[in-house]
Amino acid sequence: MGAYETVIGLEIHVELGTKSKIFCGCSTEFGRKANENTCPVCIGLPGVMPVLNERVVELAVKAGQVLNCKINKVNKTDRKNYFYPDLPKAYQISQFDMPVCSEGYLELGDEFQGKKVGITRIHIEEDAGKLIHLEDEDVTLIDYNRAGVPLIEIVTEPDIRSAEEAHDFLKKLRNMLVYSEISDCKMEEGSLRCDANISIRTIGSDVLNTKVEIKNMNSFKEVHKALLKEEKRQLELYRYGEEHKIVQETRRWDAGKGRTVTMRTKEDAHDYRYFPEPDLPPMILEEKYIDNIKKTIPELPMEKKERLTKNYGLSQKDAEVIIDDKTTADFFEELVSKTKDPKESSNWVITEVLRSLKEYDEIPVSSQQLAELIKEIKSGSISRSAGKKVFDKMCDTDKMPVDLIEELGLKQISSEDKLEEIVNEILSKNSEAVEDLNNGKDKAFGFLMGQIMKETKGKANPGVVKKLLEEKIEKM
Amino acid sequence: MKVSREEVEYIAKLANLKFSPNEMDKLLKEFESILDHFENLKKEDLEGFDMYSFDEKSLRIRKDEVVDFENREKLFSNVKKMRDNCIEIPKVVD
Amino acid sequence: MYSVRDIKKGLKEKKFSSVEIVKEHLDKIKKEDEKIKAFVTLREDGALKEAVEVDKKIASGEKLRLLEGIPVGLKDNMATKGLKTTCSSKILEDFVPPYDAGAVVKIEEKGGIILGKLNMDEFAMGSSNENSAFFDTKNPWDLSRVPGGSSGGSAAAVSAGFAPISYGSDTGGSVRIPASFCGVVGLKPTYGLVSRYGLIALASSLDQIGPFGKSVEDCIYGLEGVQGFDEKDSTSKDVKMPDYFEEIKKGIKGLKVGVPEEFFDHGIDKEIKEKVEDNIKILEKLGANIERFSLPITETGLSAYYIISSAEASSNLGRYDGVRYRVRTEDYRSFEELIVKSRTEGFGEEVKRRIMLGTYALSSGYYDAYYKKAMIFRKKVEKLFDDAFEKYDVVVSPTLPVLPFKLGEKRSNPMEMYLSDTFTVNINLAGIPALSLPAGFSKEGLPIGMQFIGDKFREDLLFRFAYALEQELKLDLNPYKEGR
Repeated sequence: MGAYETVIGLEIHVELGTKSKIFCGCSTEFGRKANENTCPVCIGLPGVMPVLNERVVELAVKAGQVLNCKINKVNKTDRKNYFYPDLPKAYQISQFDMPVCSEGYLELGDEFQGKKVGITRIHIEEDAGKLIHLEDEDVTLIDYNRAGVPLIEIVTEPDIRSAEEAHDFLKKLRNMLVYSEISDCKMEEGSLRCDANISIRTIGSDVLNTKVEIKNMNSFKEVHKALLKEEKRQLELYRYGEEHKIVQETRRWDAGKGRTVTMRTKEDAHDYRYFPEPDLPPMILEEKYIDNIKKTIPELPMEKKERLTKNYGLSQKDAEVIIDDKTTADFFEELVSKTKDPKESSNWVITEVLRSLKEYDEIPVSSQQLAELIKEIKSGSISRSAGKKVFDKMCDTDKMPVDLIEELGLKQISSEDKLEEIVNEILSKNSEAVEDLNNGKDKAFGFLMGQIMKETKGKANPGVVKKLLEEKIEKM
Repeated sequence: MKVSREEVEYIAKLANLKFSPNEMDKLLKEFESILDHFENLKKEDLEGFDMYSFDEKSLRIRKDEVVDFENREKLFSNVKKMRDNCIEIPKVVD
Repeated sequence: MYSVRDIKKGLKEKKFSSVEIVKEHLDKIKKEDEKIKAFVTLREDGALKEAVEVDKKIASGEKLRLLEGIPVGLKDNMATKGLKTTCSSKILEDFVPPYDAGAVVKIEEKGGIILGKLNMDEFAMGSSNENSAFFDTKNPWDLSRVPGGSSGGSAAAVSAGFAPISYGSDTGGSVRIPASFCGVVGLKPTYGLVSRYGLIALASSLDQIGPFGKSVEDCIYGLEGVQGFDEKDSTSKDVKMPDYFEEIKKGIKGLKVGVPEEFFDHGIDKEIKEKVEDNIKILEKLGANIERFSLPITETGLSAYYIISSAEASSNLGRYDGVRYRVRTEDYRSFEELIVKSRTEGFGEEVKRRIMLGTYALSSGYYDAYYKKAMIFRKKVEKLFDDAFEKYDVVVSPTLPVLPFKLGEKRSNPMEMYLSDTFTVNINLAGIPALSLPAGFSKEGLPIGMQFIGDKFREDLLFRFAYALEQELKLDLNPYKEGR
């Protein structure tokens, strides 16, 4: 019995970041009242016709470029015919045999040795509406706001070999698309959706065995979990010689139960009866047009990571954390330009700034605020721990550190004269500790430091205190 | 061109249409006669011709601008049942 | 019966007011449409209100637009905002569009006054207008006969003098066939010349809106009322067309006419063949050069047409699921039932037949043999016509192989009905324009139509030939004779 390997391919739908829908001028804004973003075209009234949004073509081409694809200069739309209540025209305008992009790849991270996962194709299509199934009534409601929102569908080659690789792929993909401003890729808002196809085979084989489609994974973590579970399920069947029980089906990931379940199998497979969309002429993209789009691609994550490690001497690990989110990366660079201290800046970004993003939707402090805070700490005006307090306050106000330090009375006491007085006072009050120290009990030093800090309500500059204390004790 | 009843029933399902047994009999006959006529296609010499001819140079596109439909209240005026601004239908099981 | 020129002149010279002329037409409709049944919906109030505005304009000396005050009828598959648009189908019998078709917008911009919506074959599927879900329209020349389809109401309305201009749609002959049967001029423009936005689609790659008029001149007014680029229709073309009124003055001397042999075959009615041949001789007399040639596309063209149009129709009609437009069926417990019942009850026999045919032609296993092959054949048809137009300015043929038949005569076998389209369908496959001109009458006094086919965007040549022949024939196209 040979060892087995997992074969995974992903199908990702990404909502393009356009202002209006793909075939009409309705807004794509998320969260509006039901059926507010609608018109005769996107609800498929009799007689209406589609007109293609130019930005959809641009962004689809751009996506192909950042994913190293071949851009198909001649490509066209097709109708995919089926009935479903969220599909107003009973067909979806998509691309069948001539998609806009093909044959590309995306590189995974360092822990996967930069492995290239092949991208079979990227095509343009329109989204369907949304169905709301009422719990306590036999009623379904249809909201067409999402109908006609532009999507690209990205299909990977079955090159992925583990749930971890799949997870990394999704993270890298999201970064690429967010950096190049193609989509905001928010799974929680549905602007990125992922389905997976997974099968098992013996290592060394190049045959593809029966694959199972997994749907309903609503976050990258869920994709990871679902794939692990399904992989386990299939492996077990192989181990018991029951691999014939793996049927080509669609299974739904049930996050609550933590496993995949068979979806209601429809008796007949869909016959989509694809044919070329007669209402839209095929797209013929000129070389110049494609080149111009390429020029608009900003610095991509990998390039940025290299530049950060090279120019700022950041570690690979730190750089990877910073570039994971574009706004964070931008913030970091702004900060460094102001502080001229990459190490200090990266520390603050990786710790306090990233932590704040757990509470706030956006980075709650400005780079100017943080730059000045770092300056104050470095100058000794406040201690590092006081600095953290100031940071927390800065999250809720535009005020500058200098004012907040004043307000909160956090100014560090660094004057040697002032501190000498207190050091002397503490020393005189704690003769026992001094004796202990002289007898080699080093812990007493910490105790004395503590007392001094307590006396100054934490405001004493610890560095100065330490120096004074050491000097005094030497003298004793 | 002979067509089986199962095939026609399958097509009816795809098209969401229902036929009574009599109607189905009639339809089968008609299909056959029409499909017989379609055999003409087989006789044609189509060498050198392709389904697509990409000769339009320009890209038919529109600007990415939001344009609200001015008559929105009337969009759903033909719908039988509305609830909370949505169209109401019997529950659909996924 | 008024021509467009009559009305324009009359209004200008204040022989009558716009309200008077609109009222006269409405009265005529109310009196005589009971027999003919061309109209599905009459738009009295709106039309009269607009006529009042026209009179104000005339009174204040304002410049009048191309179709100012001209009463116009629209086939009931053209979306009209606020006015019922049914496609003569039960499934849309209460449908009121919230928007206007692109062509309707143009008509209104040019001042045309819409009198109402005209009967048709359901969803434009048919050649005799017997497939309307509501009622049959009669041929004004013989009320026991069909007016032709699918734009039967539009042709009959113009023939009966209910409006000087009406509009229909032509997918495989649906303007030219009723034009021929009703003894009026009907044009199918070049694909893309008239906007399809708001034209409830039958076959998207074949449909075009086309005008009817009693004369070539009126037909020209009709075309000018709707032609032109529409950004809402991605297949709409932006081509500057010449001044047709100037063009028709040029005559046809030295122009070349191609006569395709195969279009005079197919068991064509002898009287039709003779009449058209006679007219070809007249064209020769008027200075045109006639040449016969072979254009072997009629039979396969018909097959290809029915495959393509049914396939596209099956997809276009998928949206009629009873969800967004009034549902007739009350008895349903699930969404599946709602759809199947709405469609089964709401669509007529021919519509269901074509949906089935089209679904079949697109289904996996048959796509290559049917749809794909038909689309490839289509390219051949285009090329053959291209080649023909290298040599000829126009190609002529009879519009139909049969005379207007009696109601119910061809109901037994759908294939028999489809054969009526033999001479018209290939024009739609190639996307070129064609016009049907009243060419004479049979012994029994039934109208015979002659078809003029042109190269893309050469409507000017069609008008030139048709006008030259029309002026020569000087036919009396009034169907109201003693004994009718």
